[in-house]
Amino acid sequence: MELTRILQILSAGLIIGGIYALIAVGLNLIYGTMRLLNIAHGELIMLGAYVTYWLYTLYGVSPLISMILVSAFSALIGLIVCWSIFLPIIKTSKSAAVLESNSLLIFFGLSVIFSNLASLLWTADIRGYSYMTKVFYILGVPLMHNRLLAFLVAVVVCILSYLLLQKTMLGKAIRALIQDREASQLVGINARFIYIFSFCLGFAMAGLAGCLLSMFYEITPFMGLPYTIVAFIVIVLGGLGNIFGSLMGGFLLGLLETIGVSLTSPGLRPILSYSIFILIILVRPKGIFGRGVY
Amino acid sequence: MAKRAALYGFLALILALLCLVPAFASDYVVSLFLDLLMWIALTESWIILSGYTGYISLGHSAFFGLGAYFMAMTWTHIPYALGVLSGGLVCLAFAFAIGFPFLRVRGPYFVILTLGLSEFTKYLFINLEIKLGGTVGRILMMTPGLETLYYSVLIVGTGATITAYFVKNSRFGIGLFSIKEEEDAANSLGINTSIYKWLAFGISAFFPGMVGAILALRRSYIDPYTVFSPAVSFQVIVMAFLGGFEDVEGALLGAVVLTLVSEALWAQYPYYYMIILGAIVIFIVKFMPLGVLHPIKQRLLKEPQ
Repeated sequence: MELTRILQILSAGLIIGGIYALIAVGLNLIYGTMRLLNIAHGELIMLGAYVTYWLYTLYGVSPLISMILVSAFSALIGLIVCWSIFLPIIKTSKSAAVLESNSLLIFFGLSVIFSNLASLLWTADIRGYSYMTKVFYILGVPLMHNRLLAFLVAVVVCILSYLLLQKTMLGKAIRALIQDREASQLVGINARFIYIFSFCLGFAMAGLAGCLLSMFYEITPFMGLPYTIVAFIVIVLGGLGNIFGSLMGGFLLGLLETIGVSLTSPGLRPILSYSIFILIILVRPKGIFGRGVY
Repeated sequence: MAKRAALYGFLALILALLCLVPAFASDYVVSLFLDLLMWIALTESWIILSGYTGYISLGHSAFFGLGAYFMAMTWTHIPYALGVLSGGLVCLAFAFAIGFPFLRVRGPYFVILTLGLSEFTKYLFINLEIKLGGTVGRILMMTPGLETLYYSVLIVGTGATITAYFVKNSRFGIGLFSIKEEEDAANSLGINTSIYKWLAFGISAFFPGMVGAILALRRSYIDPYTVFSPAVSFQVIVMAFLGGFEDVEGALLGAVVLTLVSEALWAQYPYYYMIILGAIVIFIVKFMPLGVLHPIKQRLLKEPQ
């Protein structure tokens, strides 16, 4: 294989990997702090994509501006959902196991509601628009502007959220809560605030990912589930609750998928990722980076 | 005890009536009952693993689809009854084969692992079908009549319900419940939890395999997207939760109620139906964690102390 071809595959892997990382960090933030596994994560991506699409096609709002609007919109949904459903449930659940299974069901309910509401409102038609489709070359590798933009935004947001966790007092509190819920509350960390904060941040990241994906992928009401599963794969790769692991896991999965597909055929992509997923859970359920990199 | 005997008599009467349904009811009613019994079979078999041990599985659609595809591939080559039974046995064997490593995984990992399993089998069959036949769907010809299908689902549904009942009221069932309560403690008391879970997983996979095999013939057209759809697993979970999650009567009532709701809404307003389904789930979990039907069930079926 010639060098340009290899570079092309690597760049495609990194670009999609960056978005995977963004999706997974958002999901993992909610899991890590609250032990809630958000099955509706992909539906927020879907909503983000639709909002971007409608703003662009109806009102000509540039997706660049939509990135901010959509993040705020998703954070608002997160706020409503967290405040009205999850905070009461956390309070009334008898044990962590009960909370886990109950929250799974609620998120399932939300995902069903979101995806069917979207098909009701906007029909099941496949939609898409073109934006920043100019191609330019780096080292002979053709790259589209919109993909590069999506990659940069995803990576910057991931790095910012990582820095937030590592370098700020708030981040320290979040990490403390991830490590030990009771002990962190004993030292005066406001768990309620952190729950709401990570919920909104996680939802906002999902919405942003949807906005980025809408620039070059098709939008349908049922596009969410595959992304939810991708996010699961990534956080399992990196370890549940391990934010840095998700970041690395996203790139790893993106690269593995693109390389695997280029060696075989595009139809095998899902089989490839699910095999990695099942294998990792069975062999190393703590993730390949282990624990402790909180 | 008298009350219990009356209950058994009542159940026998219902079963007898169900046997008579095709004799006097219209085709529409028969197919409604067929759907009902199908969901009963799926839900009752699901609670054997997930209701009793607390290992929530989203893998029911994998077994359902596997049974359906087994039937689609062997149909017209082997007799109908053998096909249905083998569809179940294939799933049983598959569950036994993957059971030990899969059931070592606990909590949310198990949930997403089983979701991954059902998606994995879906894409496996999509690729397999494209390799084998070039297209994804399969049309089944010369399928048995509605009545035959009805009676086979009746047998499978009754079988699943009776199995769930006997498992619950056995030593084995108590072992399964101890896994839900505190798996490590159960282990240290000498209950071989790995074997218990493994057996429950197998039994729980056997019935959806048979249901899938029958459903393939009922629909006469199948493709991996519909038979491996996660909606199957999800609907089963909602039914089980509606009725109270861990008992036989609850699953039965949940399946009946939701099938009727879906019958009323699904055909004309599929999106509304799904939205209502989602809202029901959230409502139940938030306000009635013991199941909506819990109070009714207590009044109807509570055995005297």
